[in-house]
Amino acid sequence: MGIAEPAAPPESRTGRVEMHGVEKRFGRTVALAGVDFDLEENEIHALLGENGAGKTTLMNVLYGLIRPDAGSISIGGSPIRPRNPEDAIEAGVGMVHQHFKLVPTLTVAENMVLGERGGPMLSRRRLASISAQLSELGERYGLEVDPRARVWQLSVGEQQRVEILRALYRKAKILILDEPTATLTPIEIERMFPKLRLLADEGASIVFITHHLEEVVRWADRITVLRHGERVGTLAPRETTTPELARMMVGRDVTLMRVVAGERILADDDEGAPAAGKPATDGGIREVLAVDGLNARGDRGVPALRDLSFSVAAGEILAIAGVEGNGQPELEEALFGLRHAKAGTVELEGRDLTRAEPDERLRAGLALVPSDRYRRGVIRDLTVAENLVLDRIGDPPFSTRRGIDRSAVSEHARALISKYSIQVSGPEQRAGTLSGGNAQRLVLARTLSRELRCLIAAQPTRGLDVGAIEFVWEQLAAARDRGVAIVLISTDLDEVISLADRCSVIYRGRFVASWAREELDHEQLGLAMGGAANGAANRDRERARTEEVG
Amino acid sequence: MTAAAAAVGRLPLESRRVKAIAASLAAVLLALIVGGLLMMIAGGEPISAYGALIDGAIGSPAALGQTLKLVVPFTIIGLGLALAFRGRVYNIGAEGQMFMGALAGGALAILLPVGFGPLLIALAIAAGVLGGAAWGSIVGVLRARWGVNEVITSLLLNFVAILGFTYVVRRPLREPGAPDLQGRAIQESAALPTIPDLYIHIGIFAAIALVPIAAWVIGRTSFGFRVSMLGYNAEAAQTAGVRSRRMIIQLMLISGGLAGLAGAFQILGVAGRLDPGISQGYGFTAIVVALLGRLSAIGVLLAAVFVAILQSGGQAMSVIEGLPYAIVLAIPGVFVVFLLIADRLARG
Amino acid sequence: MDWSEVIGPGALVVLISSGVAFAMPMALAAVGETVAERSGVLNLGLEGMLLSGAFVAFVVAYYVGSVALGTAAGIAIGVVLGALMAFLSVTLKTEQIINGIAIVLLATGLTAFLFEKIFGGEQRPTITGLSDVEIPLLASIPGIGEILFDQNVLFYVSFALAIGVAILLARTRFGLAVRAVGESPAAADAMAVSVGRIRWMALLICGGMAGLGGAVLVLGQLNLFETNVSGGRGWIAIALVIFGRWNPLLVLGGAFLFGFTNALQIRVQAVSGGISSSFPYEVFAALPYLVTLAVMVAATVLARRDAMPAALGVPFRKEAGA
Repeated sequence: MGIAEPAAPPESRTGRVEMHGVEKRFGRTVALAGVDFDLEENEIHALLGENGAGKTTLMNVLYGLIRPDAGSISIGGSPIRPRNPEDAIEAGVGMVHQHFKLVPTLTVAENMVLGERGGPMLSRRRLASISAQLSELGERYGLEVDPRARVWQLSVGEQQRVEILRALYRKAKILILDEPTATLTPIEIERMFPKLRLLADEGASIVFITHHLEEVVRWADRITVLRHGERVGTLAPRETTTPELARMMVGRDVTLMRVVAGERILADDDEGAPAAGKPATDGGIREVLAVDGLNARGDRGVPALRDLSFSVAAGEILAIAGVEGNGQPELEEALFGLRHAKAGTVELEGRDLTRAEPDERLRAGLALVPSDRYRRGVIRDLTVAENLVLDRIGDPPFSTRRGIDRSAVSEHARALISKYSIQVSGPEQRAGTLSGGNAQRLVLARTLSRELRCLIAAQPTRGLDVGAIEFVWEQLAAARDRGVAIVLISTDLDEVISLADRCSVIYRGRFVASWAREELDHEQLGLAMGGAANGAANRDRERARTEEVG
Repeated sequence: MTAAAAAVGRLPLESRRVKAIAASLAAVLLALIVGGLLMMIAGGEPISAYGALIDGAIGSPAALGQTLKLVVPFTIIGLGLALAFRGRVYNIGAEGQMFMGALAGGALAILLPVGFGPLLIALAIAAGVLGGAAWGSIVGVLRARWGVNEVITSLLLNFVAILGFTYVVRRPLREPGAPDLQGRAIQESAALPTIPDLYIHIGIFAAIALVPIAAWVIGRTSFGFRVSMLGYNAEAAQTAGVRSRRMIIQLMLISGGLAGLAGAFQILGVAGRLDPGISQGYGFTAIVVALLGRLSAIGVLLAAVFVAILQSGGQAMSVIEGLPYAIVLAIPGVFVVFLLIADRLARG
Repeated sequence: MDWSEVIGPGALVVLISSGVAFAMPMALAAVGETVAERSGVLNLGLEGMLLSGAFVAFVVAYYVGSVALGTAAGIAIGVVLGALMAFLSVTLKTEQIINGIAIVLLATGLTAFLFEKIFGGEQRPTITGLSDVEIPLLASIPGIGEILFDQNVLFYVSFALAIGVAILLARTRFGLAVRAVGESPAAADAMAVSVGRIRWMALLICGGMAGLGGAVLVLGQLNLFETNVSGGRGWIAIALVIFGRWNPLLVLGGAFLFGFTNALQIRVQAVSGGISSSFPYEVFAALPYLVTLAVMVAATVLARRDAMPAALGVPFRKEAGA
């Protein structure tokens, strides 16, 4: 793309976007292999694909965050080559990232001003006028939020509104939403799309990135499907069906679809005879982990977990479902001794671990697959082999009286690399170079090769592609079948439904609903994640409908 | 996995090591060039000045002994700091910890009525280690318990330690009748034996023996491995069962204890009395030594020798060539900055 | 001893007045450090910047005979060291703590060398100090007038600058960007704020303020230079930033409180007989460091942790790829 002319002046700018032959490589992997994409005015266009299909990369190119290796872009008919977000914003592009790009300690109004050009001073009066402007915009599009509130005080849904407001404040005509529904409750989702429709009717062009088929069919005007960095096709919802879209997205008839349909892929009984520890003979339930009245505070000192009580038996998966931001990281940390419990107890096989350090919990048979695998799971600067012994370097055979036995470490690594199919050049490869899927395989390999009584798996498939997701699920199911008690903390409904033996929903740090597997229902679960207790589900659904109408 | 892929995976590690060494050498060279420039600024002639410096540092047994006297504290303190820095515990209070070790060891060597020399020496050295470790532990506890920044606390405690030392020397343990500020001499039996001809006390053997021990601890023990885990990623380390708080305190105890050991050696082997002049900022120089040695044990030894040659030869240079002694103080600082840059560029 | 000599009427005004003057170098450096830390860079080179500023300012003032030029030169060398810190920490992204220590070592070594070179063996060369300037009317306000409006020119300039920086942080677009970059650089980056540029500028400001602090120390207060004249003031300034919860006005206030404590200490020491007194003077001398330590610990333990910029000390790397 050799065009460097400036974008059309703002007045004549329209929201039509055309992208041709966009290519992008990261090292050896091809993220985009010559993708075409076009966006009309007044349109809601869904960009559909699996994790790693290149959806976000494509939109990051449009937003100037990534420079393509080849290809051309035009906005409103004039060619543009955004080198950074500033150029893109100038050309009328606004982006709402999946993980919001807001500064939590600043107010909503201050977040608007950030990066904006203008005089050096920022008086109170200027901020007040921005606040007024925001209130007006918010009222017009149903995106009300207090401009003077600090962002960290807002709910996830409100923060998303702030992001959309910011794009509007910046006079964006083209609005990109990256996985806008991933962090919202079903009710919030029901409220969001009509607002987008209103915006589109007023002249905006909207792209939303997703992998949820139902949303696409219900809300999009057109759908573009990407797979492995290539465009599979662009079509209108009425021309297609969800199974067809799924096939386009994955490239085959997918096992995952069975999962989505609620059928368990993983209950294979020929996995082997029940391992020791599974109460196969007595038939009674053997409680492994018992949590009673757990309370903990979040990083800002506000209560994050309130009186959580639950227990998990051997050979059982308890899913703790919930939308992001309802205490999941705190729960994960409190269960594993990484966060101080204000009150309550955690017991493993009758042994009180409430005050135990992580290493004591590990020795007692508790282990954690952390939600943030690069922050807590692997150490990037160490090798794969070293990462596989992080938790046992002091034990034989890795440490002897003469020190660390490197050959034992590397032998152990070779065995786990092949058993868990970790794609590496060798045990000495640096862990920082692993893809997300491989990093997670490494974490699972290390964790599941322990002598386990209970496993806490927090968001174990977040950000992984289908192959890796399947692998993780299989491993968790296999561990369950071996008699391990598993606490699965997940925001992913499909994951919960396909793996859970029992499920509780966490909302604002409390359990609001619990079901056994047989009673588990997609819709009920979705409602509860929005805070509706079991009985109140119907009432809440009604309210959602009336609000949608109004 | 193909052989080619395996080769690609392994190559970077090898070439990275080569690059790192090249970067160190480049930094040495650059720093020496800047040192030469400083000499020229000061009106000297670099080649002959460096010649005088080298000669003054290792040209005679006595000169060599003077240099080795510096190698001892630089190495001992540098090893402790290297270990602490590996765990990202930035103890810059070695100067104060050294004075506290000197005070504890020296007081014992003056006051303890033990006639048997080796026992007295052993007790005094133990007191020195404990004194330094205790002083360091204040910093460790504050950081581990409440997350108070250890760089600032350890630095501030330097001033307090030195003032405490000064007080003791000025009041309770002052040498009666001495013209200027001087503490009392230690009992004769507490003096460390010296190697004849070289005039260097036997602490040098301790310093040299500590190098392979430190190398083993750093590279071959699970403790050393866990320290690296803590340094690379404290949260992942904690999740894998490393008790970070305890380890922070341990690292402060070790680095403080080693600084205290160096302080005790200065009293028992060099000054022979409680003397505020036992350190010309050696605790700070040891930071340079640890950084230049890239936090490895053998690197610390090499860096300690290098810096000791600079400082001990610097005296001779300043007398013979009439150049400011402070040139040799400036070179290590320049050196560290170059090393940081070269290191980074080598990593790409 | 007679306490009225310390805190009696009259004595107290002198005490506060000298405390405020004493605090100024630290206050300037601390306010500068606040800007750097709010942008996410922990600048531990502050002591080196202060020392270099003091040295260069002194040399220029000594030879040129102009306090103004000396001050400008002090600021300039501070900015240069700020640039070095920025180059290492922001551009090369090397470990900030080590960069800071390296800068202190560099400055200590180089100033020692140049001092010896320029002044030969002279221990404490002196210059004529600035005389105090009474601000008409204001200086006649009892108490306050004497404390704030009967100081030297540098004092007024410094005070205005410190307040100016506080305003810069709170009420300008640049200040907003600084706060954003220190709190969540990724968000700021996505909003087209250049994280690198903002951090560079913050460090240049910090260096300049520390350099000015050094100039004020030797030209407006001590009127002499000696090796390591900064004497840990830069480190104390860093502790004051923590004490002031990264709020420039609180930091400024903390510096003055500290200055007052120190003036009190010196006064008590003098009144109680100094070095010949039976009470160890070392206790007084250690007091500033112990007080700093105590308040810093107290501030860290008692205050809410979230006052600390979330990205402090963490180099910013753009997320690569999708």
